[in-house]
Amino acid sequence: MSDTTITIKRSTPKETPEQRARKRLIQFIASGVVLVLYILLAAFVQTKNPQGAFILLIGLGFGYILQRSRFCFTASMRDPVLTGSTSLTKAVIIALAISSVGYMALQMKATGLSLEKLGTDALKSVTQLPGHVRDAGVHTVLGGFLFGIGAVIAGGCASGTFMRMGEGFVQQWIVFIFFIIGSVIGMAVLPAIKSVPFLYQATPVYLPKLLGGWIPAIIFQFGMLFILYIIADIYGKKKSGEL
Amino acid sequence: MSEKKKYQFHELYLKKEWSYQTGAVLLALFSLALVIVTGKSWGVTGPLGMWGGWILSKLGIAVDTWAGFKATPVASYDIWKDLPALTNIGIVVGALLAVLLAAQFKIKKLKSIKNLWAAILGGLLMGIGARISLGCNIGAFFTALPAFSLHGWIFWISIFSGAAVGSKLLVKYFM
Repeated sequence: MSDTTITIKRSTPKETPEQRARKRLIQFIASGVVLVLYILLAAFVQTKNPQGAFILLIGLGFGYILQRSRFCFTASMRDPVLTGSTSLTKAVIIALAISSVGYMALQMKATGLSLEKLGTDALKSVTQLPGHVRDAGVHTVLGGFLFGIGAVIAGGCASGTFMRMGEGFVQQWIVFIFFIIGSVIGMAVLPAIKSVPFLYQATPVYLPKLLGGWIPAIIFQFGMLFILYIIADIYGKKKSGEL
Repeated sequence: MSEKKKYQFHELYLKKEWSYQTGAVLLALFSLALVIVTGKSWGVTGPLGMWGGWILSKLGIAVDTWAGFKATPVASYDIWKDLPALTNIGIVVGALLAVLLAAQFKIKKLKSIKNLWAAILGGLLMGIGARISLGCNIGAFFTALPAFSLHGWIFWISIFSGAAVGSKLLVKYFM
């Protein structure tokens, strides 16, 4: 019985041209239906939130880009260990470098070129800056470590889970349910963690402020990304036998 | 017309995968477009805790009295005004559209009971981890490290170490 199922499964990739054409047509029509429903959703959300439709458009772009390029943050951190491949790691570094240029510009506009507006009434805290400048400390290490284990076991990080839900992976729909449960547990225990001074440091650390200005921060940021790119490239080439 | 030629457009522009570099450049640009227009940066996991809290509150559990929900009570949560909630919906639908246009959509069932345990454990760990570190691979990394925040760098190193341990566990128990 099980043998038959396997044979049937193995034979599916060898569909006839007619079957393939039919599948293409059905899925093409379905994509049109999905798009129309999404536009209706965007129109509805727009009535509740003036930025709603734009945010939904960017989100749709994220999903399309992640799926088409098989971009996976988890794999970028797992593959160097598991398979020795660093192609995704390098791509993530490129994305970080481009984003850094954008955030640098936005933040320079907000802080002034020599951080003169920082600490004034206009800009009291670094957490108000564009981007997530948040508390850094032992809690970051602890949370990141647990998250890294979870992402590899679950077969996808946060963005990857949502992407695979759209691709039709049943596993990621289950991950999603337990991601929600885990998040509630996390929210419930966070105040307890925050009350232990060793575990939680309520200090957002902003590199331009820490290092004493934009120039050292830029040297650190892009220098580190460049060095990491070179390390990833050499490591990947060594593992694949190119070097 | 041969079948191949007829579907050349489909193969080339809808089915052919993009390079990782293309993905990297576009993700960075879309993420920047989001912060330039809305003033808020991309995140993913924040809403998950709120959705969980909302479900619990509907079940009659007063989560808003918990210390963890003090700053962001479920009672005043509005999903349509929550940026990451909207982009999350977008990611699911965007990926669905991409596979449909490529004619590659298929329900991918669980391969074994091990996958179920992996999904449960992995989901729980990601949820707990993300709340403790104040974000995930997007909010505490992709829109944190480029924003010159030290916690983005620390998160990267930590998630990398976690991924190394996770890989060993994956090979040993879940494959």
